[in-house]
Amino acid sequence: MTDEQGTSGAILVVGGGISGLTTALEAAEVGNDVFIIDKNPYFGGRVAQLNEYFPKMCPPSCGLEINFKRIKNNRKIRTYTMASVQSVSGGPGNYEVTIGIEPRYVNSNCTACGDCAAACPDEIDNPFNFGMDKCKAAFLPHEMAFPRRYVIDKSALSTAGAEAVKDSCKYNAVDLDMKPTTITLNVASIVWATGWNPYDPLKIDNLSYGKSPAIVTNMMIERMAAPSGPTGGKIVVPGSGKEPESIAFVQCAGSRDENHLEYCSYICCMATFKQMNYIREQYPEAKIYVFYIDLRTPGKYEKFRDKLMSDPNASFIKGKVADIVVEADGVTVIAENAVTGDKTHQKVDMAVLATGMQPSLQEGGVPAGVTLDDNGFVISDYDKGIIGTGCAKKAADVVTCTQSSTAAALKAIQVSRR
Amino acid sequence: MNVQPDLTFIKYLKGAGGDTLKKCYQCATCSVRCPLSTDEKPFPRKEMIWSQWGMKDKLLADPDVFLCHQCGDCTTYCPRGAKPGEVLGAIRAYAYTHFGWPSGLAKLASSAKGLPMLIGIPVVVIFVMWLISGGMHIPNKEHFADHGYQQFFGTWDFKWYAKNIFFIVLIMVPSLGLAIVSLYMGLTRLWKQMKNNADISGNYRPSVPQFVGQFLWPSIVEILTHKRFKECGTNHDRTRGHLPLMLAFIGLFIVTCWSLLKNDILGLFWPSLHGPLPLYDPFKILANVSAIALLFGIYVLWSNRSKAESEGTSSKTFYDWFLIWMIMAVGVTGFGAQIIRWINIPSLGYFVYFLHLVSVMMLFLYLPYTKFAHIAYRTTAMAFEKFRSSAFGKPVIEQ
Repeated sequence: MTDEQGTSGAILVVGGGISGLTTALEAAEVGNDVFIIDKNPYFGGRVAQLNEYFPKMCPPSCGLEINFKRIKNNRKIRTYTMASVQSVSGGPGNYEVTIGIEPRYVNSNCTACGDCAAACPDEIDNPFNFGMDKCKAAFLPHEMAFPRRYVIDKSALSTAGAEAVKDSCKYNAVDLDMKPTTITLNVASIVWATGWNPYDPLKIDNLSYGKSPAIVTNMMIERMAAPSGPTGGKIVVPGSGKEPESIAFVQCAGSRDENHLEYCSYICCMATFKQMNYIREQYPEAKIYVFYIDLRTPGKYEKFRDKLMSDPNASFIKGKVADIVVEADGVTVIAENAVTGDKTHQKVDMAVLATGMQPSLQEGGVPAGVTLDDNGFVISDYDKGIIGTGCAKKAADVVTCTQSSTAAALKAIQVSRR
Repeated sequence: MNVQPDLTFIKYLKGAGGDTLKKCYQCATCSVRCPLSTDEKPFPRKEMIWSQWGMKDKLLADPDVFLCHQCGDCTTYCPRGAKPGEVLGAIRAYAYTHFGWPSGLAKLASSAKGLPMLIGIPVVVIFVMWLISGGMHIPNKEHFADHGYQQFFGTWDFKWYAKNIFFIVLIMVPSLGLAIVSLYMGLTRLWKQMKNNADISGNYRPSVPQFVGQFLWPSIVEILTHKRFKECGTNHDRTRGHLPLMLAFIGLFIVTCWSLLKNDILGLFWPSLHGPLPLYDPFKILANVSAIALLFGIYVLWSNRSKAESEGTSSKTFYDWFLIWMIMAVGVTGFGAQIIRWINIPSLGYFVYFLHLVSVMMLFLYLPYTKFAHIAYRTTAMAFEKFRSSAFGKPVIEQ
């Protein structure tokens, strides 16, 4: 099925996280037609997975919900989920973009009543929670998913499961015969807001990720701390469920490292400070050790740092953790303290790898017409109407992403009006 | 602390394989990855910042510089490509020149520019000796088959001391003697600096048997078994080359001692003991096994280094290659001379034997200034490490 549509001067926004949503809204609210697509079955991106986010420590529902509402109410914006760019042809002002759409197996009749999930016997690792818990093969991606519609992982569905899911739906919303489709869009400019993936900690072999449940990533902590997360908001050692009495934060896990991500991921220091707050709220006495090379707390975040560094139960050790030894109960992290010149072996109940941001375009293959730098970030070409924003452009926090996305919207509009 | 960076020193390190040293941002990954680094005195992070700041005096009094076996684990995991292993190698190269005596010769042996002189000195010395000895003629085939190279420097009637041996001793013993004197001077300076730097009082000193028994001998045992070398991860393959090479040197040392005993002492009473050893003689077997081990070992090290250089994990330096070339030359000419004796071509044989003498003399003469010096410096540093952690290594007590 090919669906020809488009408006001259329209803007395509690839990626529906905080950057893509901002770009789409800024452009549409001044009268431009906008298409926004996301490869996930929901919008909201990485921010949706956080427990709280900077600058005001809001839960993601706070910022995202208002954006979803603005999108719903704006007739200039057309949304596609489970969609990705297949090819791009033409030139600035007149791009022809082919979008591939994966089958959701649930049509628009869905009311998100949840009967299919209740009936479904098959379970999958919950991708939203980094596999820390299970969800049904027919599932709502997360509590505040937008569009609010279930999705089915057909590959995980047994024959009996397929029958059960189909029979459970009162609204005829389940359609297991859906096929992948493509649509063609004519747009003036393309904004890449494809965001980031957490760097794969398995690639950092000396940090032993995967060899002990006591080694987790910072994004896993976000999910655990979130009330809607796999542990209902409680930070525990996965597997054993033990309440950690000591926690080590391993900064620059894969960042500022030629063997992994060459650049500083910008957000991990602040994420660690934020997560120290989560831990303090739950475990006022827990020992916290932060192993770092340098601490990056830009601008007013310095106050935030000062507050956490004065915590009597928190130690900051200048030295990168270069080895993690798995113990029967927890792990030992090893670093040289560059200030005292001693090697530290710190036994802790849980180690948190502050993994960095890897631009997702680098992993997914480079689409036509996009130039990436050596690290996989988009190099914008404003003359050609190819614009990168948010974490597709550089590692950044939410504030910087929304700023760069407003700028991206303006640049995109300029191409449309040329 | 007032740091006066020694810019010439930094420049030297950069030129001697440590060109990456300024990339280090002190994350200390290296100190943790290093299998030889201890908890109390981790390295090489501190050496990296001393190098960046040109703190030569600290580095020249630091045993850790010599404890490094350059196994490359630090370089592999270095997030900045600062190659700490290479930087420490460059510091060692500097130290051998710095502690070397006479300094002119030490400097000459530190760069490829000195190569014509470095080869020229032994060539001239040995050639002149050959002229003086009056033995300078190429023997006929029968003579060559009977005596091999044992009358290279001719022969005389004085039966208590063979002319050939006289000349070889005249060349080699002063060469090695100079090396030993130079090493002794360098090592005592190093020891004193290390001791001062570690703040160890001079009030309690180990006796010679204590020193040998508690510090030196255990270090030698560690070296012989390659205990530390085997802990290396990245360049584990180097053990495969270094161990046979070391054993070959020991084997050849034994054969040399036996040959001296047999020809110069026992040969006095049983003249039939003179002449080349038959192939089935146990010492001849040891000699040939050692020679093959030497050639195999140096081949492995040669190819490992070429590979590391082509992969960009180590840089090409004269310091590293000069020793490899010298040992390769000793092995090839020594074994080559024997083969030529078997196939009986006197002129070529004498030429190759001449080159063999040249390369052996180079190995002896330049021992304290080239990478070869590590056998003495590393042993000393290992003994110092044990000394430092013993009861003798207590810091000066404030009066």
